[in-house]
Amino acid sequence: MDLDALAGCLSSSACLVTQTTSGLIIGMLLFLVAVGLTLIFGVLKVVNFSHGAFYMFGAYFAMAAYQLTGSFALAMLAGAAGTAILGLIFERVFMSRVYGADVLMQLLVCYAFVLIFDDVVRIIWGPEFKSMGMPSAFQVMPLFIAGGVVPPYYLLLIGVALVAAIVLGAGLSRTRIGKVIRAAAHNPGMVSALGINTGLIYGGVFALGGMLAGLAGALAAPVRSLTPGMGFSVLIESFIVTVIGGMGSILGALIGALLLGLIRSFGSLGFPLFTEGLMYLFMVIVLVSKPTGLFGKEAA
Amino acid sequence: MTELEAGRARALVPVSSGAALQRYRDVLIAVIAFAVLASLPLFTGSKALLDFVIRCSAYGLFATSLNLLVGYTGLTSFGHGMFFGLGAYGFGLIMQKLGVPIPVAFVATLAITAVIAAIIGAICVRLKEIYFAFVTLAFQMLIHSTILSWASFTGGDQGLRGGIPRPTFLGINLANHIHLYVASCALLILGLLAMRQIAQSPFGYTLRMIRDNAARASFLGIDVWRAKLTVFVLAALFAAMGGMVMALFVSGAYPEFAYWTISGEAIFINMLGGVSTFLGPMVGTVLLLLLNDTVTRFTEYHGIVLGVVILFFALGLRKGLLDFVAEWFARRRKTGEGR
Amino acid sequence: MTRTRTPGISRRSTLALMGAGAMTFAAPWVARAQAKTIKIGMPTILSGRVAQLGTSSRNAVMLEVEKVNAAGGLAGRQIEMVVRDSKGQPQEAARVARELVNTDGCELLLDGEASSGSFAVHEVARDLGVLCIHTCSEASSLTADPKQHIPNAFRCVRQGIHDSIVGGSYAAAISKAKGLKKWATCSPDYAYGRDTTGEFTLYLKRFAPDVEIISESWPKLFQPDYTEVVTKILQAKPQALYSCLWGGDLTSYIDQANIYAMFGQMEVFAVNMADYTALTVVKNLPKGIHSGNRYIKTFPTTPENAAWGDAYKAKYNEYPTNWSWQNATAVMFLAEAAKKANSADGKKLAEVLKGLTIKCPFGADGTVTMRGDDHTLVGYAIGWGTTIPQEPYVPEVKAGDWKTIFELEAEWKKSKGYT
Repeated sequence: MDLDALAGCLSSSACLVTQTTSGLIIGMLLFLVAVGLTLIFGVLKVVNFSHGAFYMFGAYFAMAAYQLTGSFALAMLAGAAGTAILGLIFERVFMSRVYGADVLMQLLVCYAFVLIFDDVVRIIWGPEFKSMGMPSAFQVMPLFIAGGVVPPYYLLLIGVALVAAIVLGAGLSRTRIGKVIRAAAHNPGMVSALGINTGLIYGGVFALGGMLAGLAGALAAPVRSLTPGMGFSVLIESFIVTVIGGMGSILGALIGALLLGLIRSFGSLGFPLFTEGLMYLFMVIVLVSKPTGLFGKEAA
Repeated sequence: MTELEAGRARALVPVSSGAALQRYRDVLIAVIAFAVLASLPLFTGSKALLDFVIRCSAYGLFATSLNLLVGYTGLTSFGHGMFFGLGAYGFGLIMQKLGVPIPVAFVATLAITAVIAAIIGAICVRLKEIYFAFVTLAFQMLIHSTILSWASFTGGDQGLRGGIPRPTFLGINLANHIHLYVASCALLILGLLAMRQIAQSPFGYTLRMIRDNAARASFLGIDVWRAKLTVFVLAALFAAMGGMVMALFVSGAYPEFAYWTISGEAIFINMLGGVSTFLGPMVGTVLLLLLNDTVTRFTEYHGIVLGVVILFFALGLRKGLLDFVAEWFARRRKTGEGR
Repeated sequence: MTRTRTPGISRRSTLALMGAGAMTFAAPWVARAQAKTIKIGMPTILSGRVAQLGTSSRNAVMLEVEKVNAAGGLAGRQIEMVVRDSKGQPQEAARVARELVNTDGCELLLDGEASSGSFAVHEVARDLGVLCIHTCSEASSLTADPKQHIPNAFRCVRQGIHDSIVGGSYAAAISKAKGLKKWATCSPDYAYGRDTTGEFTLYLKRFAPDVEIISESWPKLFQPDYTEVVTKILQAKPQALYSCLWGGDLTSYIDQANIYAMFGQMEVFAVNMADYTALTVVKNLPKGIHSGNRYIKTFPTTPENAAWGDAYKAKYNEYPTNWSWQNATAVMFLAEAAKKANSADGKKLAEVLKGLTIKCPFGADGTVTMRGDDHTLVGYAIGWGTTIPQEPYVPEVKAGDWKTIFELEAEWKKSKGYT
């Protein structure tokens, strides 16, 4: 424990601003991964334990495309589109068969694919870790905003995450498709009785969730090393985010991610050896006081 | 004890007729099974086979105890591995630091596990379904983090090193491979027998009722929270027993024993073997360990092989092996009678 | 319809599985009966995040075993390697190690496990009495702690304490020259990270007493995001930074620190940077990072070392890793010991291995020694230098002095209560 360092930082404005911004950056990155998880749970009532694998594929697709074309935009597109297609196939061929089944059965199917996907990546790209490299456009000096340091690349990340949050939030509540999706989440039987293809909706939502994870992986590829199994720790963190925020709530995922980001950035000052433990402690406290998470609704 | 009495009243119908008979049958099966296992070293010189049975004992106790929660009570715990880890660490630490006789360490570990399980359980069992799963998982991660952070006591990521001392007691020397083997078998059989008795007791039927309809059970005067807490602590005890067998096998305890992948493996074993029969998890244990040991011999891409096998069970059979076999027999008997 | 057929299929597949499974339990003498070959078992990590550890270890072992076999084998017996994956789980490592000895009839073990796995295999060696050479675990206590000591286990691996002594004196010299007084550290939060960092700062302060550590960060092993750590260090405004992050964690850290322009603001000492796995992967490698040598073919600057690195590259189309040279050295030790003992028997080999000095391309003076009193490797090439972003990556390495290492190591052992 190093509470002096924490107190010292809290009393210095420069430190406060920097650590808060880094907390926000961590949080927005987390949100981008977690939002797909929460979306899939909200609509399909499935805890997608293979979400980390989509994140991993997004990163590898992006790296492959970047090496091939040298274009950052195409790399991002490859990461997002590739995982969207993968998500659609995964949902239609496999997950759709276990919707009625036990939670454990769904978990098992996801777990099987985590194992398979990790090995597939190992076969295609090899066991060693890789790095995509930062595009030269972003190899510039960081910006100083209100005494805090922010690299331009992270501004892009925050921008993408915010756009994702707004589009998803507004899209679900205001558009016709959003209304149908919410109706399907609430009462799939009724929606399909109205002549709407629920299979298509489910597949679409899963593809969207997979795409968000893939996009997150693609965006992370320039700053994080790529290895088989890289989705694992990311899955755990985004899992904590969605549980704290409330499974199925997009706002909850945003708030949960930002809270975790702040816990990480200030926890690393005050409790450098127990930062991870703090996250789990926080999760326990939230779950015990409000089992459905901060913004979760009671299950119908 | 009102909930037990109420449970007994409700459970009288299925239990009373031949309950004593069934108990004798169970004990008889247990004795035969132990005799067969214990005499195995007389027929084979394969140390790997004995190792395999020891590991089956550790995982079997652990997985079957999880089934008390999942299969009998409908409590899906994602954090059951924490008690496996607690058992291994508790036993290893007591033996290393205090040097007491093994049975004392064994009982003391169970006592510590019971206290911790009671505290964690009291918080967790209020929650339902997936939220119970999440909070148990969170506790498991908290315990795992603590083991890693508290390096001066637990050895951190390197685990308990230097071997676990195994002084001879009552003529039993657990440093001897055969002795350890027989002791593991004894623990396994005794543990399974005890769990079987719990499952078939009036309390066991109370649990089934809670699983099927908690509202009805509570309406009938059963204290659901207390019953759930009781089975949570009982299951933790047997999981800790499994952890102790594992600690003896590897002569150490490692943080991986308390990681959530261990809980995941137990869930996997349960799904593989089947959750609606008592011996399902045991069948699953043998199946998974055999699969693991065989596949890793031939390829380092065992993930793909294991994944495909899981898919076969999850999408093909849609249930555990023993459940599938049991249903198949039931159906065959039915058609046979019809003929 | 299909329902009724499925049990048949599952029964058949179960039978097939049982047949395969039976091989797992086959008695050892069946395997041992096979005339003159000698089997060496190797549990290591071939899957998961550090699969590279296992694959590059196995590659090096195969390269050397081929040479030994071509030269007549181990005391006339051809070597057959049995390499098996432990997935990095200690209970699997123990299981695999026991199986290799008990079922596959392996008479020797090369333990390619890291961290907790190596201690699990160490216990197996203690139990079974089989000769075991650890080839990947850098945890000092494995051989330094007398409680761990067993006559049949050796360690053929570089050690954090050696790196720290050399690094401490190297860094102190630069500190004095450039006036670097305020230091920060950033290392992974596990035993290796904590011990190595503690030892490095100990020796840095010893050689440059006016150095002060003003900030410590302990990210988790395999943490994907280091943002809070990077900003924390930038906040502290140190003049120099020490890190013993390694592998993919180190490259992630460099990529993330790079966009904060951290490398221009302080001198960076990253002991595990000069390893081809990291050097060749980082796309925008900053110039002038100080690093210890892990494995580079230009240090030691001998034709033997360069030839070995090239031979490995020619065979596997990638450069060797730090794990590679350690595993290769272990095989060289076995070959030399067998020659001296004129036997491949584990007990006799162990006798000869104690204090054995062999010619080796990775030796500081062309030889390396298996120190007799604590069964650990000494005399290997060790040094520090600065990086450039292209080959040869570390053009000049300042070699460490083994005399100083031995002195300070003995002192350190005493302070730990090991001697």
